[in-house]
Amino acid sequence: MPIRDRVARLLAELPDAPQYPTQGATAFIDLERREVRQAYTPVSVVRALLAGRGANMFYLYRLLDESLAPLDPGVPLIFGSGVLTGIVPSAARGNATSWSPESGVLMDCNAGDYFPSFTKMNGYDHLVLYGRAPRWTLLHVKDGRIAFRDAAPYVGLDNLDLRERIEADFGGAWTRDLAMASITRAGERLVLTSAIMAGPKACYARGGPGAKMGALRLKAILVQGQTHDFETAQPYKGYNREIAQKLLATSVVKHALKTTGTPFLYKPSRLLGAMGTKNHQETTWTDALDASNIDPYRPGMAGCFRCPVNCRPLNDLHGDEADRYGRGDGPEYVTLGKFGPNVGIDRIESVIRLNNICNDLGLDTASTGSAIAWAMELFQRGIITARDTGGLELVWGDAALVERLIFMLSRREGFGDVLADGARAVEKGHYPPGALRYRMAVKGLMQSDPHDARILKAFALGLAVSTRGMDHLRNRVTLEINARINDDPAFKQRLYGGAVSAAPTSYEGKERAVRVCENVFGVGDAVGMCRFTTQLFNSPSLPGLDQFAAQIANVTGLAFEPAALDRVGLNIMGVERLINRRLGVGRQDDTLPERWFEEPITVGAYAGEKIDRAEFDAMLSRFYALSSLTEEGVPQDAWRRELEAALEGRA
Amino acid sequence: MLTVHLPASLQRDAGAASLAVTEPVGTIAELVEVLERRVPGFRSLFDDALLNFAVNDELVLHRVRDRPLADGDVVELIPTISGG
Repeated sequence: MPIRDRVARLLAELPDAPQYPTQGATAFIDLERREVRQAYTPVSVVRALLAGRGANMFYLYRLLDESLAPLDPGVPLIFGSGVLTGIVPSAARGNATSWSPESGVLMDCNAGDYFPSFTKMNGYDHLVLYGRAPRWTLLHVKDGRIAFRDAAPYVGLDNLDLRERIEADFGGAWTRDLAMASITRAGERLVLTSAIMAGPKACYARGGPGAKMGALRLKAILVQGQTHDFETAQPYKGYNREIAQKLLATSVVKHALKTTGTPFLYKPSRLLGAMGTKNHQETTWTDALDASNIDPYRPGMAGCFRCPVNCRPLNDLHGDEADRYGRGDGPEYVTLGKFGPNVGIDRIESVIRLNNICNDLGLDTASTGSAIAWAMELFQRGIITARDTGGLELVWGDAALVERLIFMLSRREGFGDVLADGARAVEKGHYPPGALRYRMAVKGLMQSDPHDARILKAFALGLAVSTRGMDHLRNRVTLEINARINDDPAFKQRLYGGAVSAAPTSYEGKERAVRVCENVFGVGDAVGMCRFTTQLFNSPSLPGLDQFAAQIANVTGLAFEPAALDRVGLNIMGVERLINRRLGVGRQDDTLPERWFEEPITVGAYAGEKIDRAEFDAMLSRFYALSSLTEEGVPQDAWRRELEAALEGRA
Repeated sequence: MLTVHLPASLQRDAGAASLAVTEPVGTIAELVEVLERRVPGFRSLFDDALLNFAVNDELVLHRVRDRPLADGDVVELIPTISGG
């Protein structure tokens, strides 16, 4: 059924007025015909999935035609803000969802900065985009209205120049009354590792969203308007203060996120012998990239809309003022890993510069860094040669080469055209099938986190079962590497609802920790809370289901027990698995790169450690059982029928 | 004597980047007691699950309190958080 028929059928079922205080509309935007229609998410869906990532899945489930291809304009790109986005401290996030052109499975990525909050301020919870615009288009959202503008003047601009031009042309100021989701030249050229930029650094990154937006010929969504308070069901600011105090009193926030940001994890990972190095051929790297070495280059910190944490480190290399990449935003831990050890670079200044370039070119640093590291290992092994690379010698640690490759990738020039196809380079005929053995990807998505999970079995399971592919932000059990928690079995049992082995290398009970994290993080995404400040990701003390339930009630008037929210988290994963099932994903895809099963780690206290296939398979089965999934990894019949009823308006 | 390297967040309160611990200390549990006396705020960091201990560059992930320490060991307190 064509997309317009699917939209029409769905619109006929949806309410035409808000169902609770603060609910924003869902705008169905036909880019080809330049038409906008709007409706509201039914309460039955909100009860099952909330908003943000949750309701995004409802819209994708209903509108996806899997007989098409991911970049077909009949496959929608869906933006969603959370129930509490823009309302609660540190809840500044939203998701972008579609069928991934990079991985071929579910695409779902999350960003903060100001765009999700300002969209909600304009009265929209979700934007459903489809149809290929007849010419490059900019959507202008202001005073609750959506207008189609000619984007021709902005085509060919990358992030720095685009933001400067937009600010000059439309007036206003970023972070005050102007926010934008936009693509760069990489998105225009359908680079599969391209992001949708939501700020100087913030981006919807994973799965090739930039290419998806480029395929719709949509350059940017610009959102303008003064911030304001929402009319809520009950007073909520008092509880907001409690949440803010809880955030700021938490040691992780006070002593780490607010002061340095996320690169702290580099050091524990390298000491553990778990730092993905040279495409995970090695697992430890130099202390020259420890977070403390970034200190001289960090002039301050920045943050997202109404977030008291301000965890985003700014950078200044104190070099030539005219060098546009001498200062910027970041790097985060992922970028540090991907453009440090994973490509063999050992100078912090080089990593910072590459980070700044990627932010301007609009690239997912995880997928881009992984694609380059993969190519370097193939070159090292002689699987590709200088004949394939246009004469380039892909040598580990050559920062100038990496910089050149990034520019080539963003423009699909020369060997950059190969890199621009990311994890799909074999499928596209660039590399021989044997190259897949060295591809560090799950479900077609290159690994996000630079951590090598052969030691920590909870991490490994999380990466295997993540619905969008190999990504730590869906379920990472970070507290598994904290000795104090491991050594307090009663506390750990309360945290995860059952026994989880204290030993990091044990497979015992790890499915339980992943399940709990996946539920809490799913709800966090559906309310718009930042992952860094959601309970269990970095601390047991941060806001979790109890606080979300209380503030959802204050803001919307909808009562959820924490246990009901936990069920929402499970539901979100369940719907994502139903979507993935339609895209051909099954148990065989909930796995890990071959290397981790076959090659043991060779350094550190855990030398010799790898993933045992039988143990992993048993852990996966336990995870499925605990998650009410069949042995094929899809919701069991009774639950599946319940989900389908909610998704199809029969609940 | 043990050498204890502190994270930046504790260095100001401790007045130094590293501490020399000369008291008799046989395990990390005993070291925690010493640090609690010498570094204001240490307990809250430890209790909030922010810090891990590395002994001679080996990260201790469990059974930390019983981890034996010997004269000359270098202990480092390492903030452990994850990012995106």
